[in-house]
Amino acid sequence: MTNVVANIVECRGVTKHYRQGAIDVPALRGIDLSIEKGDFASLAGPSGSGKTTLLNIIGGLDRPTQGSVKVDGEELTGLSGEALADLRLTKIGFVFQAYNLIPVLTAEENVEFILQLMGEAPAKRRARAREMLHEVALDGLENRRPARLSGGQQQRVAVARALASRPAIVLADEPTANLDSKTAEDLITLMSHLNQISGVTFLMATHDSRVIARTRRHIVITDGRIASDERRNSAG
Amino acid sequence: MLAGLAWRNIWRQRYRTVLSLSSIALAAASTVFLLSLQLGVYGTMKENVLRLIDGFAQVQPPGYSDDPDLRKVIADPAAVMARLNAVAGVTATAPRAETYVILSYGSRSYAAAVIGVDPAHEAKVTTLGSSLTAGHALAAGDGDAVLVGAGLARNLKLKLGDKLTMLGAARDGSVAADLLTVKGIFSTGAAQLDRQLVEMPLARFQSDFAMGHSANVIAVSGHSLGAIQSQLSALQAVARRYGLVLRDWAALEPALNDVIMLDMSVGLLWYVSVIVIVVFIILNTLLMSVLERTREFGMLMAIGMRPSQIGRMVWIELVFLAGIGAVLGIALGAGFTLWLSRHGILFSGADALFKQWHMPSTLYPQLGWVSALAGPLAISLCIAVAGLVPYARVRRLEPVSAMRAV
Repeated sequence: MTNVVANIVECRGVTKHYRQGAIDVPALRGIDLSIEKGDFASLAGPSGSGKTTLLNIIGGLDRPTQGSVKVDGEELTGLSGEALADLRLTKIGFVFQAYNLIPVLTAEENVEFILQLMGEAPAKRRARAREMLHEVALDGLENRRPARLSGGQQQRVAVARALASRPAIVLADEPTANLDSKTAEDLITLMSHLNQISGVTFLMATHDSRVIARTRRHIVITDGRIASDERRNSAG
Repeated sequence: MLAGLAWRNIWRQRYRTVLSLSSIALAAASTVFLLSLQLGVYGTMKENVLRLIDGFAQVQPPGYSDDPDLRKVIADPAAVMARLNAVAGVTATAPRAETYVILSYGSRSYAAAVIGVDPAHEAKVTTLGSSLTAGHALAAGDGDAVLVGAGLARNLKLKLGDKLTMLGAARDGSVAADLLTVKGIFSTGAAQLDRQLVEMPLARFQSDFAMGHSANVIAVSGHSLGAIQSQLSALQAVARRYGLVLRDWAALEPALNDVIMLDMSVGLLWYVSVIVIVVFIILNTLLMSVLERTREFGMLMAIGMRPSQIGRMVWIELVFLAGIGAVLGIALGAGFTLWLSRHGILFSGADALFKQWHMPSTLYPQLGWVSALAGPLAISLCIAVAGLVPYARVRRLEPVSAMRAV
């Protein structure tokens, strides 16, 4: 029987404290947040407000000091490092500010790599990689290594990689920060399009007003707390 | 998947990879060459020493080596020799009788060990005849002829053609006495042998010492010592059939065996040092590489690669380096060794030392499976084991802190 989960992410009472020498620095102070299936949401806030920390905790990259985090119905707290890696592989796609592609692999191999980790058959994963690169309009550049792609093209490969495993949610940390205006616009349009056609959930930590303007949900975090959570009817 | 990624990763830093491969290959090549040289020297030492007197193995009556009594005999040496000669790898056998006597010439007398040999067979087993400094080797039909060590000849003031008196105890308890003519004087280079040993025809020995047709030992020779060593069980079976025992080269020359074992221990220390140094160089390079790639590992963890998979990938990179380096080292070391095994290495100025072990001044390395593979495999294995250090380090990485690494 398939378990249908309406909320892809559920955070309850999430706190995170860092130790800096003898000082205990709170980064998150009791976050309650639900991200629904199909959300196209931005997470904004001043530097040091805790948005990247929250994104890392939702993505299973970091562990909360207290509280509960569920992704696609699975409780993250208490999972081992290996189990968290498996969860990230199957349920979460990441898009980073610095693209973070594997330098020795071609664009197609970077996308295929995720499916390879998942144990997909070679023909199937190659077809899926080609399909995803087509989706992000990188036909013809499949065999280029990251060093021979522009920043925008690399970020498109990163988006294709993030979506290749059909994740429950894509977490993007400042995805447009390294891109020029035109390329950033194109990328936002692409992600918005993918959200609309495939229904994949996006949560983006960003300062970029263009990204914020295009999302249907805008969450603001200040001093480790949710300051506002605004829903809009449609993205531009 | 991991292997493919690891293979590409090692070529990202070509210069560093080439340096690492060179270190491993040179270390592996040096172990191939030095071990081959060591084994070649041991082989030459053993064969030359054994060919001088002992033979590659001997069949003896039980207890003879501990108490070499003339009465402990092989009653029908011809039958035993026929069986021994039928064993694969055996090229010759020679019967001998041995005892201690007093030799006198003029007013001088010295104790000596006398060996009765069958000249026809003995020449195929030992090389004493080629150590003659004067006179001729024993030949079939020689009656009262005797070969005398140079030291003994000097002590007794003997020269070729002199007649010396031999006095001893025969097998039946009677007095054995004979007058022997010096046919040759030999110098083996081993002072003790040259001072104590004389060789006479077996038939005369058997007659003088009431031996009948019996002998005390049968020396066995082959194309090489290795050929005889590989047939020890077959030779043992022949010996057992006649109620005798087989003594291999190590039992015949325990001092030589000890010298070789000692030298091997010193050599082993050297090999271990080389391996440790190379392993530390490679490990250091890899740990630096792991440190540099920490951020990349964090990214790989973020996209769903397990820490254990990343650790394995890094370990495979190291195994690739070790494997390629070892193969290059084997090729380099084997090529160099093969060339030297044909042309030899001249150690001029070490004649006196080498003569002590009946060795020529030119030595030839001996390339075999053991010398070609032992060092490189040990190096590869140690590097692979050392690779568990970066593996463990990578496994301990946390994605967030790794991604923040500079």
